[in-house]
Amino acid sequence: MDLNTLVQGIVALLAILILSPLFAGVINKQKAFFTGRIGAPVMQPYYELKRLLRKETINANSSSFISDISPAINLIAVIVAAAMLPVGLAKPLISFEGDIILFAYVLGLARFFQILAAMDIGSSFEGMGASREATFAVFAEPIFFFTIGSIAFADNLTSIYDIYHSIKLNNVTYIVFIVVCSISVLILAVTECSRMPIDDPNTHLELTMIHEVMILDNSGVDLFLYQYSSYVKLCIYAIVEASLFYPFAVQNSYVAVIIFLVVIAALATTLAVVETVTARFKLKYVPQYLLFATAIGVLNLLIYTFTK
Amino acid sequence: MLLLAILLPLISAAACYLVKSIRAQYYLSLAVSVLHLAFSFSLFMGWYRPGEFILFSADSLSQLILLVLSNVYFWVVLVSFAYLRRTAISHSVSGRRYYFLLLNFYLFANTAAILSNNFGMYWVASEATTLSVAPLIYYYRNEEALEAMWKYLFLVSLGIAFAFIGILFLMLSSNGTVLEGRQLFFDEFAKNSALLNPIWLKASFIFIFVGMSTKIGIAPMHSADVDATSNSPSPVAALMAGSLRITALLGVMRIFQIVTPSSVHDFARTILIIGGLFSLFVAFVFMFKVKNYKRLLAYSSVEHLGIITLAIGIGGLAFVGAMYHIVYNSICKVVLFFIAGNVHREFKTREIAGVSSVINLMPWTGWLFLLAFFAISAIPPFGIFFSELMIFEGMLFSGKPWILVVTMFFMLFIFINMGRALFQMLYRKSEHEVILKEPERFDITHFASIVLLIAVIVIAVVSPDVLREHILSISKDFGIIL
Amino acid sequence: MQNVLSIIFCLSLFYLAVTSRVKTYVTVLQLQGIILTVLLLYPLIDHFSVPALILPATLFIVKVYLIPKYIKRILLDLDIKRIIEPTIQQFSFLLLVISTMTVIFVATNILSKSTEIETIPFASGFSAVAVGMFIIIFRKKLIIHVAGFLVLENGIFLFGSTIASKLPMMIELGSLLDIFVVVFLMGIALNKISSTLSGFEATALRRLKD
Repeated sequence: MDLNTLVQGIVALLAILILSPLFAGVINKQKAFFTGRIGAPVMQPYYELKRLLRKETINANSSSFISDISPAINLIAVIVAAAMLPVGLAKPLISFEGDIILFAYVLGLARFFQILAAMDIGSSFEGMGASREATFAVFAEPIFFFTIGSIAFADNLTSIYDIYHSIKLNNVTYIVFIVVCSISVLILAVTECSRMPIDDPNTHLELTMIHEVMILDNSGVDLFLYQYSSYVKLCIYAIVEASLFYPFAVQNSYVAVIIFLVVIAALATTLAVVETVTARFKLKYVPQYLLFATAIGVLNLLIYTFTK
Repeated sequence: MLLLAILLPLISAAACYLVKSIRAQYYLSLAVSVLHLAFSFSLFMGWYRPGEFILFSADSLSQLILLVLSNVYFWVVLVSFAYLRRTAISHSVSGRRYYFLLLNFYLFANTAAILSNNFGMYWVASEATTLSVAPLIYYYRNEEALEAMWKYLFLVSLGIAFAFIGILFLMLSSNGTVLEGRQLFFDEFAKNSALLNPIWLKASFIFIFVGMSTKIGIAPMHSADVDATSNSPSPVAALMAGSLRITALLGVMRIFQIVTPSSVHDFARTILIIGGLFSLFVAFVFMFKVKNYKRLLAYSSVEHLGIITLAIGIGGLAFVGAMYHIVYNSICKVVLFFIAGNVHREFKTREIAGVSSVINLMPWTGWLFLLAFFAISAIPPFGIFFSELMIFEGMLFSGKPWILVVTMFFMLFIFINMGRALFQMLYRKSEHEVILKEPERFDITHFASIVLLIAVIVIAVVSPDVLREHILSISKDFGIIL
Repeated sequence: MQNVLSIIFCLSLFYLAVTSRVKTYVTVLQLQGIILTVLLLYPLIDHFSVPALILPATLFIVKVYLIPKYIKRILLDLDIKRIIEPTIQQFSFLLLVISTMTVIFVATNILSKSTEIETIPFASGFSAVAVGMFIIIFRKKLIIHVAGFLVLENGIFLFGSTIASKLPMMIELGSLLDIFVVVFLMGIALNKISSTLSGFEATALRRLKD
């Protein structure tokens, strides 16, 4: 790896880390706009995070060392995943053959520790959240592999950077294929980041939360780490989705960056609109909703193997 | 002239719509049916040789089945007026208005289907026959009739859709050959069938067979037909059992004719044999527990059409027997359903347990019922005995004699069950006295039954040469040389 | 273009498998009607002729306007409950549909090596036939049975239009006739069924069993 790509990779990673709360802030501001409020300022997530750093960390009496190590492991895993994403034209810091599997399962590791910590606290609230999160993760996992994997299957590539770079938008069927993939990935993003219609990030009642409830009893630095990692995760999935549309044929890097930012902004608007318009699903409908996204992925795979 | 024969029932159907008096409709329909019978008889005897009109032609198979249709239709129309005047359930006024209209439309559609010489026309006409029969099933306008009509319409339409898929596959099998892009004429396809793609031909055969089996009333999709036959008024049931099933069987025979010179022939025969055996099995099982005598007759239809299908599949002498069986079976079924209609009218119930000592109370009906039962159970001198004898001989000398054993086993128990039910109805003394309103009179159903039973004996014993030549020429079309 | 339309068609089949509202069936049928009309109109861009416009126009009117209007009126008249109660879980149904579609696509791929057929529209049409059959088998309401039959018809039409490109008129007319007539009579039958039968489920049709 020469210096240029290294610098590009580090800049990309830093961009994700620094700008992810801004992305969440933009979504919140747009939600407020759609519901007729002025809403919190766009930089509000930064203020929240700064406030949390000042607070004291308290853990439950019945918790063990898991509650101590889990927030840190969560954030580190998410940062490692962020380092594998191709932002713009930059080659990611961690990129090798087969890294698509590492990507999926590093995020899975983060989720695993979050679930463990939630059960470790010993309260039934968190246990309920943990069990729901685990169930949805089971159904959401095939979506990723069938959609991104079907693109990978087409050209036998297994590195995320190579996969995205192999997307050439030159024939109509392929364009439809990519559009359909992106619907699937949007559903995946919504599930993994616990947005509507799977989970409600605003309320804190036991009927409506899945992710929020797992971190209900955390405070101070732990809560800071959890919140920050959820912002970064949202940004990661937004980039996974946006990169499907990004025309890698554009070679000029400045124009590329601008197009990239425009697509991300459009994605933020989409998420805001979806959150404003839909209500949360009944929990028993979530598995079939996720299976629907998987079905789209399977259809992609079937179609792609026949339109070489 | 062919076209006139097809269009005349349509014209008379329109006339029935306009004319209000049922008596006038009856005479009109009777006249049309007599003309139709004369036409098909002269066609059969070879006195009149028609040319080909674009979508219609008449080869030996069509002529035979057309004669069967005309015969059944004539007797059904003859009996209808008396039947309409005194039905078992009386509040069916609206049914009466459309009865003859639908009957004429049925004749039109069925004639078009039999005389068609390509699959497209056959399919459309076959759908039209379903549509014409379904409202007739609903004649009594009660809940059971409605359910029967719904099931029949739905399942048969599903079957017709499957048959359509089969026709599309047939077109696909002609891709890349001489026949590509031509209409699906039977004779052209039969001549060139060695060129057709075998995979698609097999798929086409299966789909057409399964799709048409809903209409023929053999397993696996016989249930709609059984329900419909047992819940409709007796002339309609006689019409369905005697002619509608045979027309559907014609479709299967046409695709079988196309398949015969090609490599798919053995596969097709196996499918037909399996279908026939399965129908016999189904009839065997259900005869044990049936409590309704019209349903009993419907299952007997399933049995006999299963035998015909089985025999067509076996080929050889059995095929010839199957052709004779088609003729005799339709006549006997008509008789049985007429008689059952009489019983229903007097006893007001379709349950076997509700009917008793018919032979004492209604002597004409009782004795004719007994004779008709003998006819359908292959007792000589009735015709079915001879046709089944030919079928059994064919089965014995085919490569698989075990089929004969299985068939006879099933038929034995079917005979026992049917006989048990029938003798209960005829001879059993009931606990309470059944008083009939009036002593039984000799009416038109009895007359029709006597004539038809005599016809069955005469045709079988005399065995006219015309019939024999026709059947031999049909067998030659199907590749069977005797 | 045919491929793109078939893909959208398959997606609509998936949606049909997941949904639990009765009105969605009508909407999906309308969508499928629009897809089939566009499919028929597409070759007209090259050689336009007014007589060839009749069939797509009739198809559009029947499938997108008449039949949904009729079904909606039946839903209103008979006051059918808005949610369908399936016989098996939605999840297993969707799983069944996915596996059947996979089998059909793979089989079509194998078959296309010997005969020249366009795989994607053919397989989509055939899977619509399969999904229509599953809907008929696994759903209880009678009006849903009619909808399943219409889905089956759409599937036949889709893969028929790819095969019968050399013999267009007859086959298409036959298909159209089928829909017309079937829905008409079924509708009339359904209306009479409602006034005599109290429930509206297929389980109520048990009177005629042995």
